[in-house]
Amino acid sequence: MIRNLLFVCGLTLLGILSLFARTSARPRADLVYVNPSGIHTLDPARMSWTQDFRVALNIWEGLTSWNPRTLEPIAGAAEFPPRISDDGLTYTFLIHPDARWSNGDPVTSGDFVRGWRRAIEPGTGTDYTFLITDNIEGTAEYARWRRQGVAVLAALRGLEGRLRLNEDQLRVLSDDDVWNAFPADLRAVVRHPAPDSAPAEWSRFADALLGAPLDWSTIAEAFHARHAAELADRFAQVGLYAEGERTLTVRLAKPCPFFLDLTAFPTLLPCHVSIEVLRERHAKSSLTKEGLVVYDPQWTKPNYRRNSYPGLVTNGPYRLVEWAFKRGARMEANPHHRDAAQLSCRSVEMREFENISASLMSYEVGDVDFLTDLNVPYDHEIARLARSGERPDFLPCPVSATFFLNFNCLRSRGDGTPNPFADARVRRAFSLAIDREGIVERCLARGDRVAYSFVPPGTIPGYWPPDGLRRDVSAAKKLMADAGFPDGAGLPPIELLCVGTDERIVQMLARQWEETLGASIELRVQESKTFAENKANHRFLIARANWYADYNDPTTFLDCLQSANGNNDSGFHHAGYDALLRRAAGERNPAERLRTLREAERLIVEEECPILPIFHYTQLIAVKPRVSGLYPNARLWFPFRYVTVTR
Amino acid sequence: MIGRIARRTLGAVVTLACVYTLTFAMVIGVAGNPFQTGERNMPQEAEQALRARYHMDDNWAYFREYLAGVVRLDFGPAFTYADWTCNQIIAASLPVSATLGALAVVIAVLVGVPLGVVSAARKKTGMDQAVSFIVLTGVCVPTFVIGAALVTVFAVWLRWLPIGGWGTWRHLPLPALTLSLPIVAYVTRLVRAGMLDVLESDFIRTARAKGLPPRAVIWRHAFKPAFLPVLGYLGPAAAQAMTGSFVVEKVFGVPGLGQHFVNAALNRDPGLMMGAVLVFAALLIALNILVDVLYAWVDPRISSSL
Repeated sequence: MIRNLLFVCGLTLLGILSLFARTSARPRADLVYVNPSGIHTLDPARMSWTQDFRVALNIWEGLTSWNPRTLEPIAGAAEFPPRISDDGLTYTFLIHPDARWSNGDPVTSGDFVRGWRRAIEPGTGTDYTFLITDNIEGTAEYARWRRQGVAVLAALRGLEGRLRLNEDQLRVLSDDDVWNAFPADLRAVVRHPAPDSAPAEWSRFADALLGAPLDWSTIAEAFHARHAAELADRFAQVGLYAEGERTLTVRLAKPCPFFLDLTAFPTLLPCHVSIEVLRERHAKSSLTKEGLVVYDPQWTKPNYRRNSYPGLVTNGPYRLVEWAFKRGARMEANPHHRDAAQLSCRSVEMREFENISASLMSYEVGDVDFLTDLNVPYDHEIARLARSGERPDFLPCPVSATFFLNFNCLRSRGDGTPNPFADARVRRAFSLAIDREGIVERCLARGDRVAYSFVPPGTIPGYWPPDGLRRDVSAAKKLMADAGFPDGAGLPPIELLCVGTDERIVQMLARQWEETLGASIELRVQESKTFAENKANHRFLIARANWYADYNDPTTFLDCLQSANGNNDSGFHHAGYDALLRRAAGERNPAERLRTLREAERLIVEEECPILPIFHYTQLIAVKPRVSGLYPNARLWFPFRYVTVTR
Repeated sequence: MIGRIARRTLGAVVTLACVYTLTFAMVIGVAGNPFQTGERNMPQEAEQALRARYHMDDNWAYFREYLAGVVRLDFGPAFTYADWTCNQIIAASLPVSATLGALAVVIAVLVGVPLGVVSAARKKTGMDQAVSFIVLTGVCVPTFVIGAALVTVFAVWLRWLPIGGWGTWRHLPLPALTLSLPIVAYVTRLVRAGMLDVLESDFIRTARAKGLPPRAVIWRHAFKPAFLPVLGYLGPAAAQAMTGSFVVEKVFGVPGLGQHFVNAALNRDPGLMMGAVLVFAALLIALNILVDVLYAWVDPRISSSL
C-alpha cells in the first residue's frame, strides 16, 4: 500500500518536472513592463482600453502619430502634414513611400479604407465607431443604413424561429423604407401600427406577424440578398477615396480641427488585406447570416494559420511575436519598418500580472523596468515618495480624465416617483455644498487635481474651462429652500450609486451633504456590471462616473451631455446646450469655436449642473532610471520606439 | 466492476446535464450586458444583432444551441476576451491549474500522511501537539496570508524564487505549497483519526501480541484501513485543487482556471461561466469515480457493497 502510494506520487512529480524540462525561456526583452488588466482585444476596431491602445499603437501606425511628450500630431505612415483644402473639409494624405507591413508589403491607401470600414460596420466596430461617423462625410448615413439592416434581419430571423418580437424590433420593421420593400403578400396579410400607437397595438402586431401564414425564411433571405447587393454602392457614397496605392482623400462632414489627432487613434489604424481569408460569409455575400461583418476573431494572433492566413500582419515599429492568454505578449522590432535601424529598444515584453503589489515587488527587485497603473491602497504613499523626491523613478502623470457624479435629470425616477434632481437648483445646491479640496487632499492624497470643470484645465491648447462653482454652503442652503426643501425637509432619501473603489470618496460626500443640506444619502455600492446596467437605465439619483479624453478637444467631454448622446447617463436634455454644441461644430474660426464650447461648458458646470466634477485623475507610473525616453503624458501613451535602455 | 463503472458514467452524464441546466438558468437569470466591455453604452441595433447571432433572445433556442456546442466540446466565444474562444482559454489555463493542483496533492500526501501517522502513534506527546498546531494553522490561516508570507520570505528577502508568473519550474514551489497547506492539514487530521481508530481494533492487538515491531504494525497492518477515508477526501480535493484557486492565482499571478470562475461571473461572460463550471463538474465526477474504483481495489469488501 505505502509502496504503491509512493510510486504514484513519484510518477506525478516526474511528470510535472518533465513538463518544465522542455520549456526554454526566451532571453529577457530589452524592456519589460506589466499590464495588470491584461489585453482585452488587439482588434483596433473593437478596442476601448488604454492598455490595449498601448500595445496597438506600438505594433500598428496610423496616418499620423502623437508626439510622446506633447501629444501633438506628428508624421505617421503618411507624409506630414497632409494637404488640407481651404474649407478645412478635404484632407489628402500621401502615404510614405517606405511604409511597409511586417511581411514587407507596401502600406496602401486601401488598407486604411479597410481598417476604417471595419470600425463602422456593425459586428466589427463597437465603442469608437462615432469617431468616424461623427466626422467623415457619408459614414453616419452608411452606418445608420447598416444598423437598420442588421436590426431588420435580426427581427426576421427571430420570426423564422417563431419568436415573438419586442416593441423595438417591431418599430424597426414598421419603418416605411423597410416595410414597403417587403413582398406584397406580407403587407396584404398584416398592417403595422402608427409610430405613436399604444403598447396594446404593438402587441397585436407582434401576434399578427407570428400568425401570418408566411415563409419568413424566404423573406429573410430575400432581404439579406437585397441588403448585400446594395452594400458596395452605399459604401461608395462615403467620403473616403483611395486614389492609386498611396493617396487617400478624406472628405469631412463638418470642420474637425482635431482630425489629425484622430488619425493617430487606434480606431483609425489600417488593416492588412490578409484578413479577408478569415471572413465569415453567407449565401455568397460578404456578410454573415445576420447581416454582420465578421472575421474570425483569431486574426490578431501572430501564429494563427487557418485558410493559409499568415498570422497577424502589422505596420508599426514593432511586430507581435508572441501572445499567450493571461501570461503576456512579446513585441520585437519590425524589420520592414522604415525607422527599424534607429530603434534602440529592440524587444519589449508585456507581462500580465493582476496583482499590482506583486508587480511593484518585481519592479523593486529589478525583474520589471516599467509599471503604469499603480492603483494600490497605498498609492498616497507612492505619491508622497514621488513628491518628496525620495523616489525620482515614481512619476505622476496628470491624465486628461475626470471623476464626476451624474445627477439623474429625468422628471421622475425609474419607479415613477418624483425626482428632486429634475430641478436644476437642487443640483446646483449639491454642487455648492461639497468640499472637493478635502476629498482630494485628505481622502485621496495622491496628487489628483481638484476639478471645478468637466474638461481638465491646461490640456487643450487655446481652451481654458470656466471657473465652475466654489464651495458656498449658505448659497446652497438658500437654493434648497427656494426649491422647496429647506434644511432637507421633504427631500426623499437620495440613493448614490457607486462601485467598490469609490467607497471612501462617496462616504465623505454623503457626510458633507448630510451636514450641510440635511439630505439623507443611501450609498449603493454595486459590482460593476450591475452598476452599469442600473446607470444605463437611470435607476439612480446620483451615480459615480469617470470620463477619459479620447482626443485633444473639449468636445470629447462635452458631447457626452448632448440630448441624443448614447453616453448621456444623467438624462440631461437642454435645447440651449445642444444648440451651442451645434453652433461650435459648424464654426470655422477656431478661437470662436472654443469660446462657444466654453460657454456650453459654463452652462453645465455653473448653471444646469447635470454633472458634478470632483477631480481630474493623476496616475502614477514607475520607470527604472536605466530606461529613458518614456515621458509622463495626459493619455498614458508610451511609444517604445523612443526608448533607450542602458544595462 | 466494468458494469459499475458504466453505471457510474451514465449517472455522471445525468449529473452533468443537471449542472448544465442549473448553471444555464443562473447565467440567463442574472442582470448585466455581456457585450458591453468599456465605459461606453452600446448602440441598440448592434446589441440586437449580436443577441440574434447567439440566439440569446429565445432562451430555449439558446439552451439548445449552446448545449449542441457543449456536446461537441465547444464552449463558444468569450465575449470579454474577443480574440479568444472559451475553449482556447480553458485549454491555456486548465493545464496550469492541473499541474499546480497535482503537485499540491502530492505534497499533501507526502507531508500529511507521515505527520498523521506520527501524531497518532505518539498520541498526547509534544510531537502530537506540534502536529496539531501545524494542522490548525493550515486550516485556519487563509491562503492569501500564507501566500503573501511565502512571497515575502522566499522571493523578496531571500530571492530564491520569482515573485510570481508562470513558465519555468521555479514558478511552481510557492503557489503549490500555498495551495497544499489546507490539504496537508486535512490529510493529517484524517490519517490521525483513522489511525487512532484502527490502532484500537482487535487485529492490531493481535499483531502486537504476536510481538511484531511497532513499525511493522503501523505501516503494514494499520496504515491501509486508516488511509481509506483519506482516499475518499482526496478525490474532491484534487478536483478542487486542479481547477485552480482564485486566491492563489491572484497572489502569484498564475494564469490558471480559478480566476475565470470569478471573473467570468463578474463580466457576465456566458460561455466562460458555463465552460469553467462544466469542466470543474466533469473533473469532480471523474475523480470521484476513480476514487471508487481505487476503494474497490484497496478493499475488495467495498466492491460488493457499492
